[in-house]
Amino acid sequence: MNEVLAVNASGVTKRYGELIALDAISMTVAQGEVYGVLGPNGAGKTTLLRMLFGLIRPDAGTLEVLGRSWPTDGIRTLDGVAGFIESPKFYPYLSGRRNLELLGRLDGLRSPDHVDEVLDVVDLTARADDKVGGYSFGMRQRLGVAASLLRAPRLLVLDEPANGLDPAGIRDMRALVKRLAEGGLTVLLSSHDMGEVEEICDNVTIMRAGTVVYHGMISALRAQAPDPAYRLLSSDNAHAVTLAARHADITVAQTPDAIAVRGTQRAVDAYVAHLVAEGVALRGLRIDETPLEELFFMLTEPDHGAAPANRGLDGARP
Amino acid sequence: MTTTEIVTSAPGDRVETERVTRSPGVITVLGVELRKLAAQKRARFALVGCLVAPWVVTVVLKGQQRPPKDTLYGRHVHDSGFAVALFVLTFATQWVLPFLTALVAGDIFASEDHLGTWKTVLSRSVSRTHIFVAKCVAACLFATSVLVMLAASTIASGVLLVGRQSLVGLSGQRIRPSNAAALVSASWATALPPLLAFTAIAVVVSVASRNPAIGMVGPIVLGLVSQLVGWLGGIDTARRLLPTTPFDAWHGLLTEDRYYGLITQGALVSAGWIAVCLGGALVLMRRRDITGG
Repeated sequence: MNEVLAVNASGVTKRYGELIALDAISMTVAQGEVYGVLGPNGAGKTTLLRMLFGLIRPDAGTLEVLGRSWPTDGIRTLDGVAGFIESPKFYPYLSGRRNLELLGRLDGLRSPDHVDEVLDVVDLTARADDKVGGYSFGMRQRLGVAASLLRAPRLLVLDEPANGLDPAGIRDMRALVKRLAEGGLTVLLSSHDMGEVEEICDNVTIMRAGTVVYHGMISALRAQAPDPAYRLLSSDNAHAVTLAARHADITVAQTPDAIAVRGTQRAVDAYVAHLVAEGVALRGLRIDETPLEELFFMLTEPDHGAAPANRGLDGARP
Repeated sequence: MTTTEIVTSAPGDRVETERVTRSPGVITVLGVELRKLAAQKRARFALVGCLVAPWVVTVVLKGQQRPPKDTLYGRHVHDSGFAVALFVLTFATQWVLPFLTALVAGDIFASEDHLGTWKTVLSRSVSRTHIFVAKCVAACLFATSVLVMLAASTIASGVLLVGRQSLVGLSGQRIRPSNAAALVSASWATALPPLLAFTAIAVVVSVASRNPAIGMVGPIVLGLVSQLVGWLGGIDTARRLLPTTPFDAWHGLLTEDRYYGLITQGALVSAGWIAVCLGGALVLMRRRDITGG
């Protein structure tokens, strides 16, 4: 692992009047990691990422990117850094290719070969000469990735890259991010989707209301996750709830149209087998919330059940 | 500064490239701004309008039975093509020139807010100051182009459609055609400092409002208010400091005894407006948080 951290934030604070957007955030991302910043809307993820790019200045704390900081190094802080914040935006009256050429000039790049190269990576070559004003949301997202790759970054920052995409677009975007990560890039990805972060990232910072509530490995988080919640439909829900009393290792709650069951997979299997043996037909069983999703809600929503033991603490880092 | 990096060029592949990113100079950033400007229909239409409109105006004036006597040089537009050029100059300085420069200067910063592209350009290898300077220079180049094209087209249309007769000066003296051509050209040139002042005003309005419409309309409103204030009596000192007053500096060139005080004074007043507006805009630009887009 390289000694210089890709991101090293310490006590970073940002206030807008009475509102504290970031409250003494600390976070480290090592080079080569695929790192997730997770939190609900308004948690402060985008504010933090904007600070990386120097778009917002912190009121307090220090923030280093690849060993450089804005107060000391100015625009050189962005050497080796690329990405986009929220949905990437371009000049709609220019073609995708022209947008990239002009952005390349702002990076001191003169060769159009690089533009063709990155357009090819994101599968936009065929539409490269169309005006961006006619691009779909997903195409603009991919053009955003292309604009980032033009800088040949060591750290790629992507703010909710799958936001607003249809399922196929989400699949393609995740595949693209994975491909880039496999190529050796450090990827810092923000999301409000636990599943997305779980699928792509190795480590994660979970934020809520401008504070860090978890910082560490996904695997460590997974180990502390609660049992999964299932939604069970049967021919006789009332009887099924009664039978659950004989299974101490599960919890059951009847909802108007189903039964919410929580327990280990083995315990739920035993309960379901018992139901069938008792003549209660099973009409449906599906996971309602994955364990990590459940934990995410516990961490980020104050009223969502009990907090896990590690709340507010770092998970083990690799 | 240079860096050599590794990029992924195809799925699953890693390719070493000699990709170099470096902080570009202001000239390069200016080139980007000019290319963006050239791609915008509004800017192109404005420049074409500057070439075509004077010919239309001259044809209309020539065809009128009665010349527009209520405007300076209006009564002479049938007598000399040079008078047409000065008539158009008088009219243009009232709101046309502020409007034309505001079309670009009032939009060049605010459009980045409108399109949400600040975050796109500011996450490249270029500082806010470089972008600010490049945008200001681009706006000033556009303003200068507008003035030069409007002046050249107006003088050409006047001379070719009305004639190259002698011109009546503001003291009633006759000015020979050879002198008139130089004086009319110089008169148009005196509009450059106040035009750049209006460019600077549009820039600061654009930066402060972050709204292209306000950026474009604001300077025109300020110009009209400034003219209204200038017509008030008993405010001679304040009148000299108004951004519209230097537009009248050419009057000193067309009197029998020429005086250049108005031109010097106009240039200084315009420089003051430019310094204050651009200085304020730079401070706003450097300090602001980019939160939108």
